[in-house]
Amino acid sequence: MGFEKLLFYIFAAVTLFAASMVITRRNPVLSALYLVMAFVSSAALWLLLEAEFLGIVLILVYVGAVMVLFLFVVMMLNIDVATLRARFIHYLPLGLIVAGIMVFDMFLVLGPADFGLDQFAKPQSQPADYNNTAALGQILYTTYLYQFEIAAVILLVAIVAAIRLTLRHRPETKYQDPSNQVRVRKGSDRVRLITMPAEPVPPSLTATLGATHTEMTE
Amino acid sequence: MENIYLTIVLAPLLGAIVAGFWGAKIGRAGAHWVTSSGVGIACALSLWVLSRFIWHDLPAFNDTIYIWMVADGIQFEIGFLVDRLTVLMMATVTFVSLMVHIYTIGYMADDEHNWPHGSLAGKNSYQRFFSYISLFTFSMLMLVMSNNFIQLFFGWEAVGLVSYLLIGFWATRESAVFANLKAFLVNRVGDFGFILGIAAIGMYFNSMDYAEVFAKAPEFANTEIAVFGGVSLMTLICILLFIGAMGKSAQVPLHVWLPDSMEGPTPISALIHAATMVTAGIFMVARMSPLYELSTTALSFVLLIGAITAFFMGLIGLVQNDIKRVVAYSTLSQLGYMVAALGASAYAAGIFHLMTHAFFKALLFLAAGSVIIAMHHDQDIRNMGGLRRYMPITWITALVGSLALIAFPGFSGFFSKDAIIEAVGHADVFGAGFAWLLLTIGAFITALYSFRMYFLVFHGKPRMDEHTQHHLHETPWVVTVPLLALAIPSIFIGWYAVEPLLVNNWFGNAIVVAHEHDTLHHLANHWHGQVAFIQHGMHGLPFWLAMSGLILATIIWWGWHKVNPAIDGQLQQKAGPLARVLDNKYGFDDFNQRVFAAGGRRIGQVFWNTGDQKIIDDTIVNGSARAVSWTAEWMRWLQSGLLYHYAIAMIVGLVGLLTVYVAF
Amino acid sequence: MPVEANSMIAILPEIVILTVACAVLVIDLYLPDERKDINHIVTIIGLATALGAISLIGSDKVTYAFDNSFIRDPLSDLLKGVILIVTLFTFVYSRDYMQQRQLWIGEYHVLILFAVLGMLIMVSANNFLTLYLGLELLALCLYALVAFDRDSKAGAEAAMKYFVLGALGSGMLLYGISMLYGASGGFFGFAQIADIAAAQGTDNQLLVFGLVFVLIGVAFKFGAVPFHMWLPDVYQGAPMPIVLFLSSAPKVAAFAMAVRILIEGLGGLQTDWGEILIILSVLSFVLGNVVAIAQTNIKRMLAYSTISHVGFIFLGLLAGTAAGYTAAMFYTVVYALMAAGAFGILVLLSTQGIEAEQLDDLKGLSERNGWLAAMMALIMFSMAGVPPAVGFMAKLLVLEAAVSVGLVWLAVLAVIFSIVGAFYYLRVIKLMYFDKPQLEQPLVIDGTATIAISINGLAILFLGLFPASLLQVCGVAFG
Repeated sequence: MGFEKLLFYIFAAVTLFAASMVITRRNPVLSALYLVMAFVSSAALWLLLEAEFLGIVLILVYVGAVMVLFLFVVMMLNIDVATLRARFIHYLPLGLIVAGIMVFDMFLVLGPADFGLDQFAKPQSQPADYNNTAALGQILYTTYLYQFEIAAVILLVAIVAAIRLTLRHRPETKYQDPSNQVRVRKGSDRVRLITMPAEPVPPSLTATLGATHTEMTE
Repeated sequence: MENIYLTIVLAPLLGAIVAGFWGAKIGRAGAHWVTSSGVGIACALSLWVLSRFIWHDLPAFNDTIYIWMVADGIQFEIGFLVDRLTVLMMATVTFVSLMVHIYTIGYMADDEHNWPHGSLAGKNSYQRFFSYISLFTFSMLMLVMSNNFIQLFFGWEAVGLVSYLLIGFWATRESAVFANLKAFLVNRVGDFGFILGIAAIGMYFNSMDYAEVFAKAPEFANTEIAVFGGVSLMTLICILLFIGAMGKSAQVPLHVWLPDSMEGPTPISALIHAATMVTAGIFMVARMSPLYELSTTALSFVLLIGAITAFFMGLIGLVQNDIKRVVAYSTLSQLGYMVAALGASAYAAGIFHLMTHAFFKALLFLAAGSVIIAMHHDQDIRNMGGLRRYMPITWITALVGSLALIAFPGFSGFFSKDAIIEAVGHADVFGAGFAWLLLTIGAFITALYSFRMYFLVFHGKPRMDEHTQHHLHETPWVVTVPLLALAIPSIFIGWYAVEPLLVNNWFGNAIVVAHEHDTLHHLANHWHGQVAFIQHGMHGLPFWLAMSGLILATIIWWGWHKVNPAIDGQLQQKAGPLARVLDNKYGFDDFNQRVFAAGGRRIGQVFWNTGDQKIIDDTIVNGSARAVSWTAEWMRWLQSGLLYHYAIAMIVGLVGLLTVYVAF
Repeated sequence: MPVEANSMIAILPEIVILTVACAVLVIDLYLPDERKDINHIVTIIGLATALGAISLIGSDKVTYAFDNSFIRDPLSDLLKGVILIVTLFTFVYSRDYMQQRQLWIGEYHVLILFAVLGMLIMVSANNFLTLYLGLELLALCLYALVAFDRDSKAGAEAAMKYFVLGALGSGMLLYGISMLYGASGGFFGFAQIADIAAAQGTDNQLLVFGLVFVLIGVAFKFGAVPFHMWLPDVYQGAPMPIVLFLSSAPKVAAFAMAVRILIEGLGGLQTDWGEILIILSVLSFVLGNVVAIAQTNIKRMLAYSTISHVGFIFLGLLAGTAAGYTAAMFYTVVYALMAAGAFGILVLLSTQGIEAEQLDDLKGLSERNGWLAAMMALIMFSMAGVPPAVGFMAKLLVLEAAVSVGLVWLAVLAVIFSIVGAFYYLRVIKLMYFDKPQLEQPLVIDGTATIAISINGLAILFLGLFPASLLQVCGVAFG
């Protein structure tokens, strides 16, 4: 028991530390990396709560996919850190005051009076063979079917919106379309034969064009 | 029945809308057809309903059609109360209105000559006129068919609005604009009293429905309220409502707008300012008879105002030279008779006179209009004369109208006016004797001015210029047919209606008369048929006075006038100060101009200088404008377009609310 | 819990919209540019079908589905109907505009349809989770729609602001939901939370704490001061038809959200949220009306006008009586119609290669298209609260609700500021009727749009004259 408590405090401290580093770093790459750290330590907190599935998903999805993508974007863009920094300092006093009042309010409500350990019974541990993932799946596809479907629609909308906002057909860009290339038919698509009447070439032109052309016209 | 009543009301409205909005598209013929058929439908249905009431004893209809909203227990609704009183009004209004619609086709045919060349307002004025008169019919029907005070007020204001629009119909004439402004302002005074009365009813009865108010009224019969040191509630309500009626029905001293309203086209003078709208006040008081019966003070007030109007306005008619103004003053005088009847609790007689008057006065106005058409819009009777040779139909019908007006035995006016004078004679409220005297002498005056006009217009030598005389001819059939159609009821309606209306209590529950006020029962008790009534009337003082007026008029303006064509002017000169007083209309107009108009302007000036300019303009308006622009600037600064400003605003809002609701 | 057929019937309108959205998504791929109108037709038919589905399954009875996460009641029927009708108007008005700007593509329909789906889900949500998902679905579509014109920098900026602030607002909402979840001991159904709120009332600090956060989520969606900052910028930056959509239908959904959360979920805390709403309401109608006066851009002006109307909607809600809720709902429905009409006219005005963004663009409209000017005048009168337009009735009802619970000072203040507001509405009418137009040529708009705007405008007049039917339907929703 004691060890678990120790682990909790360690991971909680790491999460808080990482989170504060995220918002105070000059370098966005560093911020992103600290965010990864915060995610990992939160995942560890999930594990302590016996929510293995959520912990794993947090690492797989957020750390593995989202953050990597994020880092990628941050590295590609050149963000002017200095001006951001200046504004940060400028608004820091106001931010601190507001945050201070906020913390005070939250302490009044979320303090030990309401959320102390003695206010809640210790949750029952699950047996060792308990399958967290299966239980989640069970509930997700029955009780929360409706919500699950809505979430699916939200993802669909995200795809549609992202494509609409970013996909552009620039007329000036040159690109190959393999499907069109494959579909080219042998006869008419590759070579176009046209007939045109022969035209006499004016003498001045014949002179400049040379002998070969003269032959063709005749 | 509900659908029939709705059709009666909505058909004219539909016509008005079509002619008003799409007048340019449907053209002149389209406009007069659509409005006339709308009113025609309303008229036919009204007559049918009337016949059902007369011969089939149809029960009264009282129901809500539509509730617009309910505020604090008071319903704002559209509802119809159709009983015998209403149906009589409906039939009268729609019939006269239909006649006027037809007449207007002829009267307004060359309306473009009445506008300055190229005037924008003159475009489609013909269609607009039809739209207005149809709209008027709708409003008047809403007024008379209402079963609640809100709708009554709506109809009341709507007819006022249309009247305003029509008096100033020729808006490019300064006198017309002045007249409609005057009508509007004077009616404001009356309507202010009217709405105060309605508000008082709303306050004490907490209902706007007639039936509920009438049912509750006896409970308040002895209630005193602490206004002006304590008055009876019913007296206050009745007098306030009557002030509204004084404005609308042009009773002294709120009568000043009616003669000026003659600036409007003649058809509306006939329809609105003689036959229907001005009688709205009479109708309203009759409708409110359950309230008026509870206050003898109010009745006495009504009686005196009516009698004074009847007598003194008739006198002015003697010195007028504008054909329409003579008729207008006679209208004022006749309205006075009706109001006096109400004051004597002879509501039935008042309504009876209202109906007969609607026919013969519309007839007189339309005849005057016919004369005006023939005279190329010259309205001065001094320039007329001898017209009977040129316009026989107009002449005969005008004679019928005049005889009805002076209560010549047998004509419709005789029955109604005689009944009123008799009822007032039996009344015993304060001032009844004085009122009876005024009304009786009034009969003499009426005959005098009516036949003065009649002889000056239709008899004697023609006094108009060569050109006009050359073109004199009878007006087209659209003008003469309504004249004939109105002449018939002007002669006969009295004979047929007197017995049911006055003797057999046809109105039943629609009109409530307290037993001790019932002045008509004398008449009913001694009823031996129309002939006996005429014989009895011929022994009375009013008859002899009217006859002597008629004879005197014949002597002066027929006999003497042949010898000395300038007699009319000479007589007025001889009368000296009296004629001047009459010519100045007792100074009401001057008084109003000097005291109310000028005084109002002076007070306005003071308020404008100190109140408006210094306090309101400088401090409030400019101040609030400054405040607004200051706030807006400040907000513009907040609304900086910067995202983190927006975010911080949200967070500050959140923290603020949290602190207020969590920490405290 | 096995899925029952009943559940599927209950969500029939949602299924229809989802199907149509997916269908358009696919059909669009195969349509050449000149035949994109087929998307339009499919969408219109789909919306009409969904309307039919609502009337088919609608009844006075309440239906629950999907383990109580879905509720179908008279309230949801009416609000869904209004959302669909307003969306229909949106499509009809925006056709020419989008075509002329090469934006008449499948995604426009798809995104709006998905937004509608999100709103329908919100309206019928019976727990916080469903509500939140519906909200996110709606918000995501709206972010994309605001930036729909990819070449417009203003649009991108507006979308960015909307997105970040929306994320902030939705974060607060979610935080509040988690608080309520904790306070109720692990429930997020409105019914269960209502039980706990009724039992513990304001004694439970945690409930109040959660309430404040959740309420801010609602206020943000409505655009109430001080959570309104996104509104003027987004209105100004987004393409006109998107603003038309954004300003009308989502307000109806936001109202449903307010009803579900505040009345059905936290009814026990009415005294608390009533007070918060008083603050928000006063701030909204004061700021909205005053700042609108200073605007020269009509989109921004209408944005501030929206804010002031939100103040009035809150005025009805905060009364905490059935009459107040009915009044607020009436106001919301009426507002959606007015906003659709007002922006619809601006969209129609913008069709000849110009953007009718400035107040000056309305100058002399009566000479260019009298009917359109008349409809706009009607809508402006209605927004200003002049009878007989329905806006008067809506304002009267909410004021009456406020007075009936003794908040006379609040009602008086609201009246004063609605008079202040009347200034800028009447200014629009003055510009249309008394000023010389900047462009002389008459404005011709296509027949369908004329019919739609006439229906829209005359509905405002009709409802003003005969408000009883709508009022009664609104009343039924609150028993």
